[in-house]
Amino acid sequence: MCCTFTEEKAGAAMKKKIILLLTVCICLTACSSKEKKVPLEDIGMVGVMAIDYIDEDLFRLTMTIPQFSEDAKENNESFTVETDLLSKGIIEIESLSDKKVVLNQLQVILINEEFARLGQTEEIIRFLYRNSEIGNKVLIAVVKESGEKILSAKYPDKPNINFYLNDLLGPSINTAFNPNTNIHDFMYTQTNPVFDSILPYLTKKEDEIELSGIALYKAKSMIKVLTPQEGLIIQSLQNRKNLMPLYLTLNENNGEEKLLLDLLNSRVNMKSNKDLSSPKLTIHLKLEGTLVEYKGVKEGQLNTNKDISKLQNEINQKLESDILNFMEELKELQVDPVGLTENFRMYYNGDWSHKKTIDVISKLELDITVETIIFSTGTLK
Amino acid sequence: MSGKKSPVLNRFHVIFLTQNIMFGTGILSLPQKLSSLGYSQALFPLLFGVIACLTLWPIIWINSKYENDNLFRINEKLLGKWLGKSINLLIVAVYIIFLSSVINNYTTLIQTSALPEQSMVVPLIMLLLVLVYIVNGGITSIARFCMMTFFLIFPTIFFLRWAIEKGEVTHLFPLFNFNGKEALEAMKKGYLSMLGYELIMFYYPYIANKKKAFKYTTIGIWITVLLYFITVLVSVMYFSKWQLENVEYSVLHLLKAGELPFIERIDIFVITLWVLAILATASAYLWTAKKGLESLRNKKKSSHVYILTLVVLLFEWMPLNPGFQEKFYEINYNIYYGILGWPIVLCVVHLLKKKRVRP
Repeated sequence: MCCTFTEEKAGAAMKKKIILLLTVCICLTACSSKEKKVPLEDIGMVGVMAIDYIDEDLFRLTMTIPQFSEDAKENNESFTVETDLLSKGIIEIESLSDKKVVLNQLQVILINEEFARLGQTEEIIRFLYRNSEIGNKVLIAVVKESGEKILSAKYPDKPNINFYLNDLLGPSINTAFNPNTNIHDFMYTQTNPVFDSILPYLTKKEDEIELSGIALYKAKSMIKVLTPQEGLIIQSLQNRKNLMPLYLTLNENNGEEKLLLDLLNSRVNMKSNKDLSSPKLTIHLKLEGTLVEYKGVKEGQLNTNKDISKLQNEINQKLESDILNFMEELKELQVDPVGLTENFRMYYNGDWSHKKTIDVISKLELDITVETIIFSTGTLK
Repeated sequence: MSGKKSPVLNRFHVIFLTQNIMFGTGILSLPQKLSSLGYSQALFPLLFGVIACLTLWPIIWINSKYENDNLFRINEKLLGKWLGKSINLLIVAVYIIFLSSVINNYTTLIQTSALPEQSMVVPLIMLLLVLVYIVNGGITSIARFCMMTFFLIFPTIFFLRWAIEKGEVTHLFPLFNFNGKEALEAMKKGYLSMLGYELIMFYYPYIANKKKAFKYTTIGIWITVLLYFITVLVSVMYFSKWQLENVEYSVLHLLKAGELPFIERIDIFVITLWVLAILATASAYLWTAKKGLESLRNKKKSSHVYILTLVVLLFEWMPLNPGFQEKFYEINYNIYYGILGWPIVLCVVHLLKKKRVRP
């Protein structure tokens, strides 16, 4: 009894203490400094950032900030400054803007081709990778000519340049040759010796922006623009599951056939001979899909399994030669955007350097087999 | 023996106490600490688990010889009052410094990633107040808090799935691509995140079923080891060697890979949730230090815990230069490793004393 009584007493005292503490806490909130809190309307959340080359020391930094005020005619504010340091540029833009500029909502970074070719992309991306305000999912793209032009142009039928670019660069089945490179991916391929980075490549058309290819890097500098078809080969060899529809032209010399395959599934198997002095890689690529459209000599004859398997063989041969040609081209350039050399690194004891990747890729012998399976040709007989 | 010491910790308490005391901010930077091994670090947490079990054995053995005493009392009994007390003072100091390094780590993390524009004074005081509140509830309240923490934090493992999808399993090979020097360096830096299981030396007297203490603690250790193993494995798959080495708190970057439509930055959400793990770890150390202070002064006083918290706060606020502070913490870690081996010395002293008494 006595025990419970003292416990009750202690409980009551504790309650009093807690109430006192809470009161003090509530009162103390009044003492917190007010000037630090910026109201939401006064924060300018940068959506897209573009970097254009001027000369060795300077670059042009453009940023767009969504405009929420109803009185504004444009739904975006856009600012451009010339600077030598990214952070200095951001501060300069802040002095132009009426808002506090923050990078928390950054979605897209555009780098112009000249800047990329001179090998300065990594410095910029590394700065952003270090910044904890910025998430890792910010998409990066290389633009032909100037990023500023893309951002300042009018797109009358598009709601907002921020959303437009983000949706264009994001994953979508019909542009699945696009590597969707984000900050993490870029830093990963830049710092991993078995990879050379690839970025989507944008071109400005009249009233729209086109995702026209893939920018290929060698170490730190961009060297070439690849076609969407070549981009698709890279994606399929990297074992990406959802590939874009495959357009093929067979028998170009006699009786041309054109077809489009919707790829439903793809699988790649790679096996290396583990030998660095005469490296050999066996690649088996399996593609499954449906034949969506066909134009050519076999039109109306693709009814039996035999006909279809004949077509499958033709597709296999065509793809094998396409892939092989593309790989030969990469061998000459001494680049490895697919990461084929990882199949040799995983058996190598010691430090793997980028030089070893170049060694292996320039000597690499490839044995490629493609297996295409056409599930169906539609509901008509 | 001072005060009442009725056995209060059941098996779940012991398992989760062990698990959660080990599980602090260590896991967030573990891949970086092991980075001297490069991609071959994936199996190292399993090795840590084996070492932890080996060092646990003498701890439990010496405790089972003095079932009702914690290490502070055992020290005094075996080594005499003065030597025992000096060792106890050292242990309390080491734990308090370790505790302040844990809290310091976490506040730095919050400052750099979640609240870059805010001073850490208020959050720190709030954290310490909650800490005192938990410790005042005694070891059972800490154990219960640990259980709650485990079940709240465990689901975050789900957020690793995007990193697994994107990662490359081939990074794991070759499995043993390192030399002895690299392994030693990784061992020295990485084993820090394993520390904490040896606190059983202090709460052993409170365990209800003392015979099974070894089993329960081992289960706790292996839960942690498994979580470490998964985290390191996924990090190895997802990052390049350079990233493993240079990205601080790389585990948070794993979470940034997440793609939930309604949360943009999962990492911030997890960092704030992590305060529970920090509180669980810190409260156990504070409780142990409090017990140490009680045994040093031979009396129980509620003011002890406040004094120790103030000391921690002073450590946080001391205007030390960061280089010195880091070195200071590092020396402390080295002494801490010594504490892990201390029970072996005690075992030897115990056996020698026994021999002398017998003939």
